[in-house]
Amino acid sequence: MRDRGLILALLIPGLLAMLATFILPMAWLLRASFSTSTMMQVGFTLEHYRAALADPFYWKVALNTLTLGLTVSAFAVILGYPIALFLARTTSRWRGVLTALAVAPLLTSAVVRTYGWMVILGDRGVINGTLQSLSIIDTPLRLSNNSFGATVALVEILMPYAILAMLAGFGRLSTQLEEAAAMLGANPLRVFWRIVLPLSLPGVLTGALLVFVLAISSFVTPRLMGGGRVFVLGTEVFSEATVTLNWSLAAALSVMLLVLFSSVIVIYQRALRRLEA
Amino acid sequence: MKAIRNICLTLLYLFLLAPIIVVFIVSFDTRQYLAFPPESWSFGSYTKVFANEAFIAAFGRSVVIGLVVGLVAVAIGMLLSMALVRYKFRGRDTIGFLVLAPFLVPSIVLAVGLMLVLSPMGLLDSYAGIMLAHLGITVPYTVRTITMSLMAVDRRIEEAAMVHGASPFTVFRRITLPLVSPGLIAGGVIAFLISFDEATISLFIVSIRTSTLPTEIYRYLEYSTDPQIAALSVVLILISVAVVVLVERLIGLRKAI
Amino acid sequence: MTERHVSVENLVKTYPGAAKPSVDDVSFSLPRGEMLALLGPSGCGKTTILRMIAGLVEPSSGAIRLNGREVSGIPVHKRNMGMVFQAYALFPHMTVAENIAFGLEMRGIAKADRAAKVARALDLVKLTGLGDRRTTQLSGGQQQRCAIARSLVIEPELLLLDEPLSNLDAKLRDEMRDEIREIQGRTGVTAIFVTHDQDEALSMADRLAVMSAGRLEQIGTPRQIFDRPETEFVASFIGAGNFLNGRVTGAGEAAVDGFGTLRFVGDAAVGQDVRLMVRPHRLVMGGAANSFTGTVEHIVYRGQILTMTVRSGQTRLQADLHTHAGALPEKGQTVTLGVAPEDVTFIGRAA
Repeated sequence: MRDRGLILALLIPGLLAMLATFILPMAWLLRASFSTSTMMQVGFTLEHYRAALADPFYWKVALNTLTLGLTVSAFAVILGYPIALFLARTTSRWRGVLTALAVAPLLTSAVVRTYGWMVILGDRGVINGTLQSLSIIDTPLRLSNNSFGATVALVEILMPYAILAMLAGFGRLSTQLEEAAAMLGANPLRVFWRIVLPLSLPGVLTGALLVFVLAISSFVTPRLMGGGRVFVLGTEVFSEATVTLNWSLAAALSVMLLVLFSSVIVIYQRALRRLEA
Repeated sequence: MKAIRNICLTLLYLFLLAPIIVVFIVSFDTRQYLAFPPESWSFGSYTKVFANEAFIAAFGRSVVIGLVVGLVAVAIGMLLSMALVRYKFRGRDTIGFLVLAPFLVPSIVLAVGLMLVLSPMGLLDSYAGIMLAHLGITVPYTVRTITMSLMAVDRRIEEAAMVHGASPFTVFRRITLPLVSPGLIAGGVIAFLISFDEATISLFIVSIRTSTLPTEIYRYLEYSTDPQIAALSVVLILISVAVVVLVERLIGLRKAI
Repeated sequence: MTERHVSVENLVKTYPGAAKPSVDDVSFSLPRGEMLALLGPSGCGKTTILRMIAGLVEPSSGAIRLNGREVSGIPVHKRNMGMVFQAYALFPHMTVAENIAFGLEMRGIAKADRAAKVARALDLVKLTGLGDRRTTQLSGGQQQRCAIARSLVIEPELLLLDEPLSNLDAKLRDEMRDEIREIQGRTGVTAIFVTHDQDEALSMADRLAVMSAGRLEQIGTPRQIFDRPETEFVASFIGAGNFLNGRVTGAGEAAVDGFGTLRFVGDAAVGQDVRLMVRPHRLVMGGAANSFTGTVEHIVYRGQILTMTVRSGQTRLQADLHTHAGALPEKGQTVTLGVAPEDVTFIGRAA
């Protein structure tokens, strides 16, 4: 067929880019995690996995990562839900502007917004500064350089993703269904509980998953907000890769992150199927 | 009831925009260290940022990298989308899935993989290396926006042009391309912005020679949090706002992200 | 029509920022068990009236009474009205039975009673045995039946239907039309439905309320509306019509171009300029009490009927004649048309 050559010509640049930026890196990652050298891919050993799994520190790190991911996704979804619901239902002419405002933070660098949270939660930051100048407290509250700060910042940084995912997932909601329920005798609370919430749950689940994935793989925010005291898989992968220069261990930790992530995806899909069945 | 709802929404929006607002305020503080509230106001931080050669150089590199990445990502995305939307061939679904697969992988995992691939080729801390890495995370976006606008083009319009005597290439140039150009521009703008703002992958790939603005800020922040960064952040935010407005005008923000 | 079950009094709705009210001083009432159609072009305010009765839209002024009691202070969920929405608004995450049981559940009815009532409602709308289906698995007509069952099972004071047939294809529409009428008759529920389709309104309703630009033009039985339209809008919105100007020359007689004297039914003073209307299909070949002779200007053979335009001087008449296998008029031919005086409708004074 004449189209064959054309199709191939259309595909080749993309396929090459995919090979170089996705397929090869993933293959190399797996290969490196079994390598006997720290920086080259040679030999075969399970040593890095053994080392990681035998070290209680990495178990703690994995647990921290899971806790951070779950906390952040829960709060991002809970705080994002009212905004998403409002944006999905409003007929206000400000809707476009308000949607843009809710999503715009997504388009400012995470580094910049992390800095913003350092300013807010720092020892001489907005909160401590205000409370001290009002003489409510003497010594600054410990709001940053700990996992609290990292969690708060990540919730805000990832909330727009939750809002977007929820908005996209709210397709089955309609004011007419709510009106129908009201006509049948449901008061506003029951309309929410029996109609709005069940119908928006798939969107909520997708939002939570998205935020979870981004939270467990984050390292810029935990590192800057944690002030070196928050240890999650992301920060450990980064320091193994760029400070300790043990690339094979970094690769092994990445694979473990991927496993953690995949198992969450599987759980998510089960939940979604049950919701829609 | 409605008042309570509005108060709650306002508070949530305030939380969402808090870091941006705060950064804006602090950028006008005259002091050398981070503190709140500002004691006096000036453009001092801005003057310092514009005099900081490391920042200026990093800004320039980020712009160049972003532009190249945006253009190439759009070109590749256009070709891929044409193949995926307009033709049926064996393996189409697989390729369609693979293209979007980077969305499904945590970026830090991808970063380690990219580092491992680029290192033996000597591409760590090189323009080619960082551009290739950014291409990997932007092509899925351009494919998605361009595919959407291509699918919105009515096939019958192209057929009508052919019936009226246009060659396939003319149809593409005169009909298809103009119709999908909002998608192309939006895809390019988003690719630029992602590359311009990206820190995670960049931190694994670049060090001194090709450090981008976000990585430069990150490294600075590890040691100091002075208001200079706030001024720089404001500049970055303004660029983002300009881009957001542009994208919203072109295709609507919700479709683009 | 002694008992007023539902009444609407001087209802007005002006949306904020709108120059003109969407519903402008509308009043009507229904006895128990009646089916009323709110008929009019889109944007005439009929849906707004329905939504105000339901409590989904707040009236700007006026009263809505149910059994003589003003309902405006009662929130939607306590009004005990059933509503069938245009797109049915079935809850997609519930089965057919769960949808129907929803209203009963909200009323705190015990599970066993609910099941029995749902089963009876399913029988009523001929969905027996489909209770466990998901609503998305139902055909359009079945979804419609489910929506009706859902709003009837709560034994509502009043059933409201918003363009109930507009989402169905033509064949199904005829079927559901009879069906809805039958169900309404069997349950005896008072019903108001909104439609822009005159056939639907004429064939389903006991009475029609014709609306235009927020105002109630005329309310009456299908025959009253069709044969004795009181305004030119009603006459032209429902069915086709030939509109004629004339001057009254005697009791039930007017001078009209082309006819000479046209006899009609209605009271008008001698010497008055009047507007008269003749339905095209009420015209017959050959002179009668009223006769009109002219040239066939245009003719279309449409199978069952023959539509032709006959001209005499400045007056053109459209006539729809039943066809037959014999000779039919042809273009250019001179013909005489006749119409009975009771088929000439007096609409009012000429503008």
